Amino acid sequence: MAETTEFAYERAFEAHWTDVFRFALAWTNDWSEAEDLAQEAFVRLWNHRAGLDWERPVLPWLLVTTRRLATDRFRRLRRRLVAFSEPASLDAAVQARWLDVSAAMSELSPLERAALVMTAVEGASYDEAAGVLGTTAGALRAAVSRARTKLEAA
Amino acid sequence: MDPSRSDRILQDWDAVASQARRPVDPPRAVVVRSGLSGTSLAGALVLVAALLLAVVWYGRPVSDDQTGGILVPPSATPAMTPPASDGPSADPSPSPSATPTPTSQPSPTPRVTWCAPADLAARITMWEGAAGSRIAHVELTNNGSKDCILRTTMKPQLVDGRGAVLIDGAEPPASDGTTFAPGAVATTLVQASNYCGPAPVAPVSVAFVVPEGRTVATPVSPADTTLPPCNGAPNSAGSIEMHPWAT
Repeated sequence: MAETTEFAYERAFEAHWTDVFRFALAWTNDWSEAEDLAQEAFVRLWNHRAGLDWERPVLPWLLVTTRRLATDRFRRLRRRLVAFSEPASLDAAVQARWLDVSAAMSELSPLERAALVMTAVEGASYDEAAGVLGTTAGALRAAVSRARTKLEAA
Repeated sequence: MDPSRSDRILQDWDAVASQARRPVDPPRAVVVRSGLSGTSLAGALVLVAALLLAVVWYGRPVSDDQTGGILVPPSATPAMTPPASDGPSADPSPSPSATPTPTSQPSPTPRVTWCAPADLAARITMWEGAAGSRIAHVELTNNGSKDCILRTTMKPQLVDGRGAVLIDGAEPPASDGTTFAPGAVATTLVQASNYCGPAPVAPVSVAFVVPEGRTVATPVSPADTTLPPCNGAPNSAGSIEMHPWAT
């Protein structure tokens, strides 16, 4: 049973780390923080592996957990005490490109960014995205609209 | 048809995000990144203590219960209740006794009271810039001659050189306290955001308000005008919060 759970965890990591990272990146607009959030979300998954129903999709759980971690005020403050370097996992060219993209996306709130990325880039439905982001489909639709307007005007 | 500006940004976002590299091994414990400076490491250690107190203050840090109904949610951090006592009470006035008690009885131990603001000296050791806010690192020293009870959370304020309040914080929800010995030092972080008012009189500092009075921290310099950037409309309200004092 333990081996099965561990195997399921490793499969979830391989299948969903990128999804979790991208969601965290959309929410935070910060590459290093997104990497940290993805790691912490999977640590949470590992810690709760015994109580999870592994027959059901695990990605929504991971995304909701990531959002919760991202909005933890003390986690944010704690992180500011640690001197982080630029994302080590990016080469210089990608890093420069990321600076431009993140500057443009910085006009949006975390909810607007995540709503826009989830629906326009990741292909999630409004209902799916609303479930992950803890809001209604109507509010999500409005957030996406605001996000588009801001990006067009920037 | 050419893609709109927002579509181009999203295409770029997608392309750059696709460069992310998954770690080789799945994490099973939180790894602290290397490259901590000594100061940061010390600050992090102080913050660990502060976080323990913060849990008491705020209860579960993440209260959102939305899980999407997919799987069993992470178990909640056990709710911690604030101490039942609201701290030490004032010494009762001695009542006249008709029959003097024998002198052999032990004398009563003096009760420890809340720290008086006049006995506390605060100073800002540094300001730290953060996106949309400024964080003051503050040290507090007990300059009194006896133990007192330090309220672990107080109402923080951003104040100008005349003591005028630039941003007013919220009253703390509970009056938890910790013993604060003479000469002892406590530290905290005060985060201020969104100051959209007029230019203040230097120096800008932070103050800590308790029912007994107010302690204004010595600023970093006499000319310091560190202010959080205005993120909202002119004259919109700012915010200021403090971590519990860590001793």
